[in-house]
Amino acid sequence: MKRVPAYALRNEAAPIRCACVCSLVALVVMAQPGDARAAAVPQSKEQQAKAWRDIAALPDFWQGTWQSVSPIADDFPTPPDYTSAALSYIKDYKPVEDSPFTNCKPLGLPFAMNIGGMPMKFFQSPGMIALYIESSGMTRFIHTDGREHSERPNPTYLGESIGHWEGDTLVVDTLGFAPDTLFQMGKLDKKTLAQGDPSPLAGVIFGSHGPNLRLVERMRLADFNTLEIQTTIYDDSVFKKPYSLPPRRFIRGIERRNESQEWACTDNRDYLDPNGKLEYNVKDKAQSR
Amino acid sequence: MKRKSLVLLIAVFCCSSVAYAHHSFALFDRSKLTTLSGTVREWKWANPHTWLTVVVRKADGADEEWALVGSSPNMMSRWGWNAADIKVGDKVVVDIHPARDGKTIGELHTVFLTDGKVLADPGGQTGEALAGGPANLPAKPQGEPYK
Repeated sequence: MKRVPAYALRNEAAPIRCACVCSLVALVVMAQPGDARAAAVPQSKEQQAKAWRDIAALPDFWQGTWQSVSPIADDFPTPPDYTSAALSYIKDYKPVEDSPFTNCKPLGLPFAMNIGGMPMKFFQSPGMIALYIESSGMTRFIHTDGREHSERPNPTYLGESIGHWEGDTLVVDTLGFAPDTLFQMGKLDKKTLAQGDPSPLAGVIFGSHGPNLRLVERMRLADFNTLEIQTTIYDDSVFKKPYSLPPRRFIRGIERRNESQEWACTDNRDYLDPNGKLEYNVKDKAQSR
Repeated sequence: MKRKSLVLLIAVFCCSSVAYAHHSFALFDRSKLTTLSGTVREWKWANPHTWLTVVVRKADGADEEWALVGSSPNMMSRWGWNAADIKVGDKVVVDIHPARDGKTIGELHTVFLTDGKVLADPGGQTGEALAGGPANLPAKPQGEPYK
């Protein structure tokens, strides 16, 4: 699909509503692309029917759900070209001894896509693709109406996502991240790790992303049962040039077992005191597991 | 990690890193299985983890309380678990991964109910196994009996 600015798409209102439309068009033209205050025009029944027909032919991301079969941590097979600030951070970095997400705080992107264990589900309607990430209980909203990014997106855990199709590949461009989304900036050399460390996060370098973090994800079906998502990270405070991660893989689940469920995380502060006694819903003690 | 358990750990973990997302990786020894027999004191079915509290009567007659963490209700329900399967007062036999430091806590592995139902915790399984459902459930406990 060709990328068309949102305001151009909105000018298709029926002539019978000319007077209203003219004033709306004036409003729309004055508004900046991606401005939440821009006027939106309801579509006619016919326009909406056509829009649904148009998206019906898109690659089938929609049946069933997608279970990650990739490791939680990303591999960085090619050494990234780090900025000097990142290099000095890594030099002093001590690997986390335990999972950094044993509480219920939202991880945000990019790491929310990595967690797995519970499947993701795609939905679409004209102008939007939604992706429910059960392991975070959050839904990504990917605008496919041709809009441009907001000039000043407010920081969020999932950022502002705009998608378009390049052939059978959904390309999703996301920016506007909260500063505390969980960010993996690399992986320590295997030689520096304790032998046999059982943690899937062994050697992972977590750090802060910069204010300009931007992700470009290329999502495509390798075959009917396999979804591949290849992510390129743009972050000029960490990488001198964009870093392309190896694709992550997800398998399709059709059986009812794989249907989406709610994820209501109950703050996860179950606390085992030093004697092994369990307390639930503890909010002010350090995690012990 | 001690070297002696390296081989077993590789066998256990080489393909299983998907599903431990919210768990600690340090507390429990996943190379070991211990079998507990006891009575359910509490069964908390909640995300991100379930907790099964079991009272175990030891050979000397003393009661011991064990707090056992499971994976998420979302994952467990996909593997055949139901919140109503376990009730306070039920007798259960449980295979667990014990704590490394000997505390009376553990990570659920398999629960054997008196009606013969066997429930395996999907924690640590591959994405393929999570999507495919449980297979090859053990008919009887596999752990070292706790006395």
